Amino acid sequence: MLMRLGLRLRIFLLFAALACGSLLALIVAGWLVLSRPDSTTVVQTIVQTGLLAGFLTLGLVTAVWYLFDLNVAKPIESLSGLLRARAHADVEGEIDVALARYLGDLAPAASAAARSLAETRGALMESVARETTRLASEKARLETLLSDVPVGVLLCSGDHRLAFYNGQAVELLGAGGLDRSLLDALHPGPIQNAYDRLMEAGDPDAASDLLCTTTRGGRILSARMRLLMPIGTEAGQLAPERPGYVLTLRDVTADLASEARREALLTEVIDQVRRRSGNLSALISARGILTEATPTATQTGRIDAAITEEVEALGRSAQQLAQRVEAGHVEGAALTMTRASDLLDGLRARLATQGLAAEVESDPLLIACNAFEIVALLSALAAEIAGSDHINHFRLLVREDGPGALIRLEWKGGPVALSTLDRRLALPIDPDLEGRTGTAILAAHATDIWPEHSGDKAALCLPIPRARRAVRRPKPINRSVVFDFDLLSRERSASISSAPLEALSYVVFDTETTGLLPAQGDEIVQIAAVRIVNGRRVEGEVFDTLVNPGRPIPPVSTEVHGITDAMVAEAPGVEEVCRQFHEFARGAVLIAHNAPFDMAFLRRREVELGVRFDNPILDTVLLSAVVFGQHEAHSLDALTHRLAITIPEEARHTAIGDTIATADAFLKMLPMLRGKKLTTFGDVLTEVRRHGRLLKDLN
Amino acid sequence: MAQLDRKHRVLVVEDEDNIAMALDYLISREGYDYDRIATGGAALARIRETHPDVVLLDVMLPEVSGYEICQGVRLDPSLADVKIILMTARGSAIERRKGMALGADGFISKPFELRELREEVRRLLGQEA
Repeated sequence: MLMRLGLRLRIFLLFAALACGSLLALIVAGWLVLSRPDSTTVVQTIVQTGLLAGFLTLGLVTAVWYLFDLNVAKPIESLSGLLRARAHADVEGEIDVALARYLGDLAPAASAAARSLAETRGALMESVARETTRLASEKARLETLLSDVPVGVLLCSGDHRLAFYNGQAVELLGAGGLDRSLLDALHPGPIQNAYDRLMEAGDPDAASDLLCTTTRGGRILSARMRLLMPIGTEAGQLAPERPGYVLTLRDVTADLASEARREALLTEVIDQVRRRSGNLSALISARGILTEATPTATQTGRIDAAITEEVEALGRSAQQLAQRVEAGHVEGAALTMTRASDLLDGLRARLATQGLAAEVESDPLLIACNAFEIVALLSALAAEIAGSDHINHFRLLVREDGPGALIRLEWKGGPVALSTLDRRLALPIDPDLEGRTGTAILAAHATDIWPEHSGDKAALCLPIPRARRAVRRPKPINRSVVFDFDLLSRERSASISSAPLEALSYVVFDTETTGLLPAQGDEIVQIAAVRIVNGRRVEGEVFDTLVNPGRPIPPVSTEVHGITDAMVAEAPGVEEVCRQFHEFARGAVLIAHNAPFDMAFLRRREVELGVRFDNPILDTVLLSAVVFGQHEAHSLDALTHRLAITIPEEARHTAIGDTIATADAFLKMLPMLRGKKLTTFGDVLTEVRRHGRLLKDLN
Repeated sequence: MAQLDRKHRVLVVEDEDNIAMALDYLISREGYDYDRIATGGAALARIRETHPDVVLLDVMLPEVSGYEICQGVRLDPSLADVKIILMTARGSAIERRKGMALGADGFISKPFELRELREEVRRLLGQEA
């Protein structure tokens, strides 16, 4: 019946009831005191009545407070949380009007406002989505183009932080990570010098070549740096104070090592030849002097033996030189490991264009060759044979041959004359190879080619000195590009507590474990993490690995996360993974849902690892309490449900599934925190500490 | 056995005079008939004409390479019993394989010791030392 009355009337009736109740309490108290047979003095009567009435009124006020809190305060807090989620975090869905059934039209009105907001946003999103799709397809094309560039490409801000990198750059540097400092991966000297040189030149078109070395592995990279002037900046115009730059990278470790080996070889050869020829010249002069002076047989014998010794030493040096030069050719940097089957497929296709058929067969080998040159050479020779002997069908074989491989071009017919072969080899092989002759191609591969025949079968044999068995295709380089160009122009705060929340880098992580008690030996069995940079989750930067806990996984834990002993048998150990994770999380704020649990597993390893997980920490349980109030449930399921984040069923209770859900929840709560005027890390930390009775703050 | 009653003939196909002279000394001292031709062009004709027991064949010759001469000899069934020793300055494994594939019977890389060559010739003539 009360529900049918208006809200104001109900509030009026509530307070009227309070007033009447108080009056009634006074009357009842007076009646009770006066009706007692041992009536005392007037003063005592008034005091007793007052006390009794006071207690009755207190009870009444408490009851009214309870009803008010239950039916007014809590529903208002819940409603405001739901409205903020819809206003700031793009959450959609109906608001449950039963939530505030005693608040009159408030809940239906809030629901209508939320619905209207959702509709408006939906219409806006639709037009944005159309435009976004168009831009996304253009962006995808550009990304494909950039990811296929065969050199490492980086874009860095003026303070050397990464705003763009491709897979090749990660491969060369051994590290990536948006907003990470390039100077962690490369020795800073050459980079800073090149930057200063370009800044001094002030020419937006100038580039600086440099040689830099990776901090891990000592890889030597040839690099080119160019400053990133804002579009439209002309030479001489005022540039930003510290503009970003683009850096292209190429590994020259092998080139430099081979250059150094050649240099050393040459020095050694010159030394040997000079020494031996000097000795020989001296000995021959001595022999001449002796001849004039009628020497003894012993004297001439000794001199002759010495001459023989020197000549033999010279011969040995020449042999060694030849062998080492040849070995140098075999190691040649220009020769890449090519799959034998790919080479033969290319050759067959090339022969087909000349009207020649070929069947191919190869051992599973990777052979060191310049595939284009070898294909050009063999197809030119096949054309020569086809032209002179009217052959139009060949068989192509690649077989393992000691440390190398043997390519055979076979056909039915007579052997090819060496004179024909040599004449063809002396001519340019292919118009695309700029006059390169077959002889030059063979020399570059440190090999030779010759004919063989047996019965009515003939063949050309071409050994390739270096090959190895192809077991399986190597793990492909991740060729995706990762970027956020806003990082190039971002202001940085001096201290973390004054830094805006969006400006910080975060690593959101989750662990699956053998149990709940790290202090009693439970261990991590899976850990996953993602990075959030500049207010967005970086798709290309994911840490996700199983961990061998070094102890059996109890079946009850396997039931939760589905990870068995067999699955972790080949996985890296806890120590190794913790070290890798520490590196992944360097410089970032760590975020976890119920962080004390996950951090306990990491921090107990600090001493043996010799590293400290001293990153600032945020806990999404506490953030949920700040945003939605303490009375709400703060489990990951409840939080993601409130924020309309769906965790696919198969991903729930996997480290990566929960990590992505936690990261998305954090990203949705960011604007809600801002709506509560919590804009810096320090603001959030102060607010979070007020909810300490929920969970310990770890900072 | 019929060949035992005549001197073995060794033909040297070599364009460098100094080494040819050294070979002349060695072959003559071993009691073989020495013959020499300095270019590759006429070598095959000389082999057909004189039918030597052993041909010492330099690989790097002007006009026609030693390999080509080797192939020519092996493609001529009437010369099947002529033994060929290839001499090369580079001595790489690939050269040796190519020579053997083309039908050479022996392979010597320069610089070589005369003793080494003498043993190779003796081996091919069935005169093991």
